[in-house]
Amino acid sequence: MKSLRPSLLRAAVVLALMASALAVRVGDPAPNFTGVDSNGKQQSLATYKGKFVVLEWHNQGCPYTRKHYESGNMQRLQKEWTGKGVVWLTVISSAPGTQGFVTPTQENEYLQKMNASPTAVIMDPGGSLGHLYGAKTTPHMYIIDPAGTLIYNGAIDDHPTSDQADIAGSKNYVSAALAEAMSGKPVTDAATRPYGCSVKYKD
Amino acid sequence: MAQQLSDHARVELLAREDAIVAGSDLRLGIHFVLDPGWHIYWTNPGDSGQPLVIQWQLPQGFHTDQIDWPRPERMQSTAQLADYGYHGEVLLPVTVRVPASLAAGTPAPIAADAKWLICREVCIPEHAQLHLELPVAQHAKANPNAAALFARTEELLPRPLPHGWKISAAAEKDDIVLSVVAGSPLKKVEFFPLEPNQIDNAAAERLHPTAAGVSLVLKKSDLLTKPVTVLRGVLVLSNGTAYRIEAPVRQPIK
Repeated sequence: MKSLRPSLLRAAVVLALMASALAVRVGDPAPNFTGVDSNGKQQSLATYKGKFVVLEWHNQGCPYTRKHYESGNMQRLQKEWTGKGVVWLTVISSAPGTQGFVTPTQENEYLQKMNASPTAVIMDPGGSLGHLYGAKTTPHMYIIDPAGTLIYNGAIDDHPTSDQADIAGSKNYVSAALAEAMSGKPVTDAATRPYGCSVKYKD
Repeated sequence: MAQQLSDHARVELLAREDAIVAGSDLRLGIHFVLDPGWHIYWTNPGDSGQPLVIQWQLPQGFHTDQIDWPRPERMQSTAQLADYGYHGEVLLPVTVRVPASLAAGTPAPIAADAKWLICREVCIPEHAQLHLELPVAQHAKANPNAAALFARTEELLPRPLPHGWKISAAAEKDDIVLSVVAGSPLKKVEFFPLEPNQIDNAAAERLHPTAAGVSLVLKKSDLLTKPVTVLRGVLVLSNGTAYRIEAPVRQPIK
């Protein structure tokens, strides 16, 4: 029996993903997921109930992701918001052999080199978490409120370019949404067009 | 030097005529010859990507219009992701208004700082500083090196709907139904939305030919937070003809 358990668990996860493989819309309950992070730890959205959760789709080779990491913008956001109790989950859905695919060790080295501090990085080489949320680009950002409702889906900011120089004059949608939601206000820009490279899915 | 080689494309600033004429429109274009497998993007790039942006440096009194985007092609990378853009070769034309006061013989250097994203499996931001020097003259003749390319490109630009055609749109729960009345059945049409976030780019278009045209069922985008009141886009027929459409969207009765 013992040897059966992991595969049964996997089957259950796959079924859960298939059952909810529909669009996620702002205002709807954010679909639960489980995944393994770059430290080999199990991550599950359900365990973060009661907290704000940010999901950040990531591909370290993509020029749009590099805009926000090489400028330090993403790291500043991670530091600021995790400092205020937000859970920040970076997700890598690049399939093996595609741009942005990394091993857990490579990802941990990258985090250290870039001085990045997400709560965890979920390794999603099969793309099931990406498909569950309909993640289209890197970056593509989502925010889930403490009740488990999706309150933001879209771009990181309002300048869809790969130029670092554009960050200073940009409205950061993630910060704006978190600030509004934390002070009990509705999110003004709750869904925007995400911009960047396409997520490098296996299929 | 009008032509530049980027890593994955040959890029050139071209003029349709061989001279600038005071008070006349000047037709320019940025010509891309892309390496095999690489693509650039339409004005609405779809689910990812970024369109060409041009910053012009023009003589005093010159003004440019927006890029006239030729009809795009649909590039579906997975069941969930689709982009709109161009493979192979494309000319992106722009009209420049030339002041009537321009004296013949005046030097009129034109420069374009062009930035674009080019992708195959990966995406690379590229840019080029393109220059063009044309004489200011009383009359202009067709530029023999570019006239045919400009003429071919004009055929690819969306035009107004033919006289007598009617278009309407109605919102349903998950879809927007676009109806085209053309006078005869249309078997194959493609719709390209001009606004991002209205239509699910990757969803298969559902076509229903009717006696007088066609109706298209377009899936609404997941990113919609309020009703689509106007649907703007480009309709491309099977023969490649492209039409600009703008249809107010009838909302469902609650």
